[in-house]
Amino acid sequence: MVISPVHYIAVPLLAAFTIPLLSKYIHKELARIVPGIVLLYSVFVSIVLMMQVSEVGVISEKIAGWSAPWGINLMFTPFSGFLASLMSVVGFLIWLYSYNFKKIEQSQSQKYHILQMMMVTGAIGIVLTGDIFNLFVFMEITAITAYSLTSFYRERDGAEAGFKYLLIGSFASVMILLAVMILYTQLGTLNMAEIAQNAHLIPTPLRATILVLFLVGFGIEAEMFPLNGWAPDAYSQSPGPIGAAFAGIVVKAGVYALIRVIFTLFDIHGAYDFLIYGGLITMIIAETAAVAQTNLKRMLAYSSIGQMGFVLIAFGIGTKTAIIGALFLMFNHAVIKSLLFMSGSYLTYNSLNKKISALAGLGKKLPIVSLLFGLGAFAIVGLPPFSGFWSKLYVLTAAADQNMLLLIMAILAVSIIEIIYYFRVVSTLYYGKQEDEEIKVQKPSINAMVSMLILGATIIVVGVYPDIITHFLNNAADMLLDKASYIQAVLTQNIN
Amino acid sequence: MEDLGIKIIGALLTVILAFTVGMTYGGIVRKLTARVQNRRGPVIWQNFLDLLKLQSKKTNIAHGFMGHMAPVWIIISAGTVLMFIPILNGNLWFPNLTFHGDLIFLLYMMVFGSLGMALGAGQTGNPNSAIGVTRGLSQMVGFEIPFVLALVALMVQYKTTSIQDIMDIQAQTGTWMMFANPFAFLAALFASLGMFRYSPFDIVGAPAELASGPVSEFGGKYLGTMMSGGSIFAFIKLTLYVDLFMGGAGFGTGILATIMGLGILLLKTFSLYMVPVFYGWISPRYRTEQAIRYFWGWPTALGVIAVIWAIF
Amino acid sequence: MNSFFLILLILFAGAGLSFVLGKISSIISGTVAFLSIAAASALFFTQIEMGSFIEFSLGGIQLQWGLNSYGYLFGIIVLGLGTLASLYSISYMQNKERTSGFYFNFVLVIAGMTGIIFANDFISFFIFWEIMTWASYLIIIYSGKNVKKIGIKYMIFSAIGAYSMLTAIVMIKGQYDTFLISDAINAGAFNFIDNIYIPILLLIGFGVKAATMPLHVWAPGAYNNAPTSFTVIFSGAMSKMGVLGMGLVLGHMFTADRSGSLTNFFSGFSVIYLQQTIGWLGGITAVIATLYALIQDDAKKLLAYSSIAQLGYITVGLATGTKLGVMAALFLAVVHGIFKGALFMVVGAVERQAGTTDMTKISGLIRKMPFTFLTALISIIALAGIPPLGGFVGKWMLYEALITESNSYFLVIVIFFSSTAAFLYSYRFLFGLFLGQEEKETEQVKEAPITMIIPMLVLAILLVITGAFPGLIFSPIATAMEFIGFKDVTWNMSVLNNVWGNEMNLTYLGITIGVVFVSIFAFITLKGLKGTRYVGTKDISTSGEIPYENENLTFQINFFQPFVRAAAPMYKRSMNKIWNELGNGLEALFNFTRKIYTGNGQTYALFVVIFLVLMLLFKDTLFV
Repeated sequence: MVISPVHYIAVPLLAAFTIPLLSKYIHKELARIVPGIVLLYSVFVSIVLMMQVSEVGVISEKIAGWSAPWGINLMFTPFSGFLASLMSVVGFLIWLYSYNFKKIEQSQSQKYHILQMMMVTGAIGIVLTGDIFNLFVFMEITAITAYSLTSFYRERDGAEAGFKYLLIGSFASVMILLAVMILYTQLGTLNMAEIAQNAHLIPTPLRATILVLFLVGFGIEAEMFPLNGWAPDAYSQSPGPIGAAFAGIVVKAGVYALIRVIFTLFDIHGAYDFLIYGGLITMIIAETAAVAQTNLKRMLAYSSIGQMGFVLIAFGIGTKTAIIGALFLMFNHAVIKSLLFMSGSYLTYNSLNKKISALAGLGKKLPIVSLLFGLGAFAIVGLPPFSGFWSKLYVLTAAADQNMLLLIMAILAVSIIEIIYYFRVVSTLYYGKQEDEEIKVQKPSINAMVSMLILGATIIVVGVYPDIITHFLNNAADMLLDKASYIQAVLTQNIN
Repeated sequence: MEDLGIKIIGALLTVILAFTVGMTYGGIVRKLTARVQNRRGPVIWQNFLDLLKLQSKKTNIAHGFMGHMAPVWIIISAGTVLMFIPILNGNLWFPNLTFHGDLIFLLYMMVFGSLGMALGAGQTGNPNSAIGVTRGLSQMVGFEIPFVLALVALMVQYKTTSIQDIMDIQAQTGTWMMFANPFAFLAALFASLGMFRYSPFDIVGAPAELASGPVSEFGGKYLGTMMSGGSIFAFIKLTLYVDLFMGGAGFGTGILATIMGLGILLLKTFSLYMVPVFYGWISPRYRTEQAIRYFWGWPTALGVIAVIWAIF
Repeated sequence: MNSFFLILLILFAGAGLSFVLGKISSIISGTVAFLSIAAASALFFTQIEMGSFIEFSLGGIQLQWGLNSYGYLFGIIVLGLGTLASLYSISYMQNKERTSGFYFNFVLVIAGMTGIIFANDFISFFIFWEIMTWASYLIIIYSGKNVKKIGIKYMIFSAIGAYSMLTAIVMIKGQYDTFLISDAINAGAFNFIDNIYIPILLLIGFGVKAATMPLHVWAPGAYNNAPTSFTVIFSGAMSKMGVLGMGLVLGHMFTADRSGSLTNFFSGFSVIYLQQTIGWLGGITAVIATLYALIQDDAKKLLAYSSIAQLGYITVGLATGTKLGVMAALFLAVVHGIFKGALFMVVGAVERQAGTTDMTKISGLIRKMPFTFLTALISIIALAGIPPLGGFVGKWMLYEALITESNSYFLVIVIFFSSTAAFLYSYRFLFGLFLGQEEKETEQVKEAPITMIIPMLVLAILLVITGAFPGLIFSPIATAMEFIGFKDVTWNMSVLNNVWGNEMNLTYLGITIGVVFVSIFAFITLKGLKGTRYVGTKDISTSGEIPYENENLTFQINFFQPFVRAAAPMYKRSMNKIWNELGNGLEALFNFTRKIYTGNGQTYALFVVIFLVLMLLFKDTLFV
């Protein structure tokens, strides 16, 4: 069988429909196992395709034989492929972690795993698709699964958070759909490559309007300030691993869409500046808000928003080094934030409430989890020799190349704030005064531990030897910047 | 080899001279003070008699190693510093090593003795000793500031840090430093008040009280040794002042020249010595913080003026 | 395998191994740490050729590791002191908790510093710098005391420093397209004329570690809070990394050729301002730290403040930018490493044997811990700068440089004031721990174990040797100074010179002291001590009264009260307060931004709508 990008989408969709039947008629456990197998298969597909793509350049797949611009095509480029692989790996690790996450009741677990799998699938679809409407559809898949996972616990807070997310999220859907409609009326095509080719034909004011609609729509998904009100609640009320999935997968897809629109569809100079300023404001506000948080998961949520702001800044700078830095940041954020959410949810689960102060002294009871959390904290603030350092270095270097001294200062000032709140948590973990009440500690299960250890090891290995991934990043950045070859790759493929 | 012989004999002579002069000055001051206070007072050589008495005593108890070392330390420090002070300019019989050391070195070397004293006093365990030491050290921080300002002024004015050079310059130009940079001299003079620890700066030793001050636990041979060391130090300080500000003394190596030189040296040192003594007669005692404030006031201001004077 | 890799590999492996073995026994873990550091030092001093380097690429960045004479000088401090301190740690940490973490981070700090010394490019420099920083942070909070107050403060200030440095590094990359230190220097990155920001940012970065005003506020707490055997490294070697950086920047800045156009004439002035500013910052640091040192009741805290003061002298020396001044600074850096290391070891020994370092609780240990006292005495003499020990040589050169070469006459007074006031705390230290009344509580105290005594005595002996033959240290310093841009640095084994042609001969001093000492000492001591008996510290004359048994004769509280009263105005202002107020202000601001997220879905929706409307309104100006 030839491995193709379609497998990313087709296999999970097929599985999603068959799992209820399988679990009902064959074995209950299958509802939990099959998504894992599917995700593992996605990982396998990623590895195979990533190996191929470095030779071929672009792998493109027509769905149902219809060529672009009429049909929908999936583009596995070094850029989109990198993100798709990242998502599939993180998706699999999240499944591994939550395979028997204690808080999920048995009866609900089948839904949980299917939803999680579909969320990953949707996000991968966003990244791979070459069609703007198709992108909208995948975004809806992702969003709807995300809404339901946010309010998964069926509690008051969860429902509220889910509702907020739904409220803002549907707003985003409307914006994007509107933008797609206007685009179609103007150019008569939904294929992104063709849109990119002909974007200059649209009258300037209208083009700007479309861009604004896209920016707001995808900006909501990418957690840009002031569109990110939903995020802190969604992160903190959803089950722990879903926080990781938001950080590692959903937001990444949003950022991808934003970047694709700005870089490929509308190559407008002002949009880059918009990314820088938007990212900067997002980062500053989110990180300062994080300092004052008393709830661990909320703190992680704000931190996550801040990191996304940083990613946007990096993309906004727009040079190759900056793109490498931005992609490296996305990679790091996916790995490190997932680790933080995973270890953090064990920590909060074992504390009396979700407060940071209640974590006091858990360092002794959960030594490895605490150590991994500490590792994640060290990595995310960018201390060498962990992976977070390199991404920060690349972005700063790029900024310095453009002589953006104030931007550098602002980024680093925010990093100091980051250090404050992360180190506060770590020191509470290890040195806080323990409460008198004895808590029975829930040790993490083996699969969760393996999942976290893989992430932890990645942080260290990439930190010590970044060359492992810089090669991929390099190709990806080239691909993103080379708009012409993207267009060409899509449109020539139609001829044969 | 002959040269070395002369040097060793000269060095011994220097020590003997310093010791004798220092003790005698002490005796004179005791006498004079007594007369001022309308007492009869001891004989001038009373200090020698005291020393004889102290040294003939048998020492029975010791206050530990540092306590034992303290007097030794003072004598070592006194002897060493003495070697680096020019006694008579250009005189073969009073050689010194001043060519190989300088003002800053002397400043620090002079502390060496006080440190030994302080440590010895500390080990005795007598709280009064330690209190005396802290007062002494605090006061030192006070008077060193104007003193160092004066020294820096001299060094800057003549671009040298060597005492010998400063003496030579005075000999060549014929102008004493106290006239060449009067502010420096005044600042140093004020500092000398604290250095000699006469009233009003005598709270360190607190001579009026019975058992206070650093030396309170020392008796017999220890006290005798300390006294000798202290006398030598008094001579050192005086000679240093004379060398720096009053042109030094000395005319050559001949017998007559040596005697004349010594005579001049004695005259100058004695007149200088009388300044703190006189000042002491007419002043009540300062508390330590008052003393420090005193030194950080006008004397320091004078020192600053001296440095500015020297720069321009 | 290449020696550079091998040394770092040994150190990192040693760190990992001591972490794992620490679960079994603290002694094994400590021994492993000691052996790995000792092995690394042995390799460092024997296997690496001066000037050799290796190049490789990591993450697309060209890195270069090598050893130059400047790094070698600091390598002596780091690895020499590191070996002794790790030997010392074995006994010191014997009965403590979580020793595995301690040794892990201890070796990591050493590895970080070794890496800094090897780094020929800014990226590896920064990486190792950060490893050193966070590993030391973990040691500072190791005891679990004052974590929030001291640990976070340390980390914040370190981050401020590190990120200033990082900004400078990426700016160098941006302007000169190189990460190599030597290339950047040749291109003139440290030249104050072309670049004002890069040198200043770097100096801020290094100034934090060198605890220079106003970035010093982390230091007293951090030095005090770390386990004492690490404070040895912290104060003795780690602070010298800041000195290393400052020397590198300032050396190249001041020796750069400034002869040139008219514009350079004014730039020359600005360099002088910078020089004066740094010099005065160093001087004020020295004074303030000294003032605070002498009011401390805790011996360790006292030494912590004293360290800051000493680093102030070093900063002053570097800021002179003259041969003698920089030589003085580097000499002081080495000697400070030795004597402060020894002093912290003394404190650690007392802490281990007597259980506390609070001088109001212990005193009179001299007869119980004679070797410790001997070390303390020698080190204090060096610290106070009293001849004939090494500390004096450094101080002498510093004064001479300021007076004769850089015309900083009033700065000299400031330094002099600080070092005279240093006598006060020096005495306090010796008196507080070793002299004074022999307390009942400390009756059972015994001398420290041999593994602690040996490193202390080694350091004490080194102090004596460096006092008599400072040339032993001058020789590496001279080659090191040539590396940072000074030409024709001359030195003698034991004669010091200033530019006015005055000399200071330590040989004569040594002979004089020797002759006088031996004769008088022999005369008095042998005669005197025989036939005396030791009486306790209660057997004293308190104005003729005999103190009864339980009378409290201890004098430890408010030790320098009169001085503090006299100097009261100088104690009023505190940098710490200013920083704290700044912190509080920021926290209030952060609380405000937090409130943007109201938690109300309608508000969020409103935000989105407002944003959309605004964007649509300004779309034409934004996106053209």
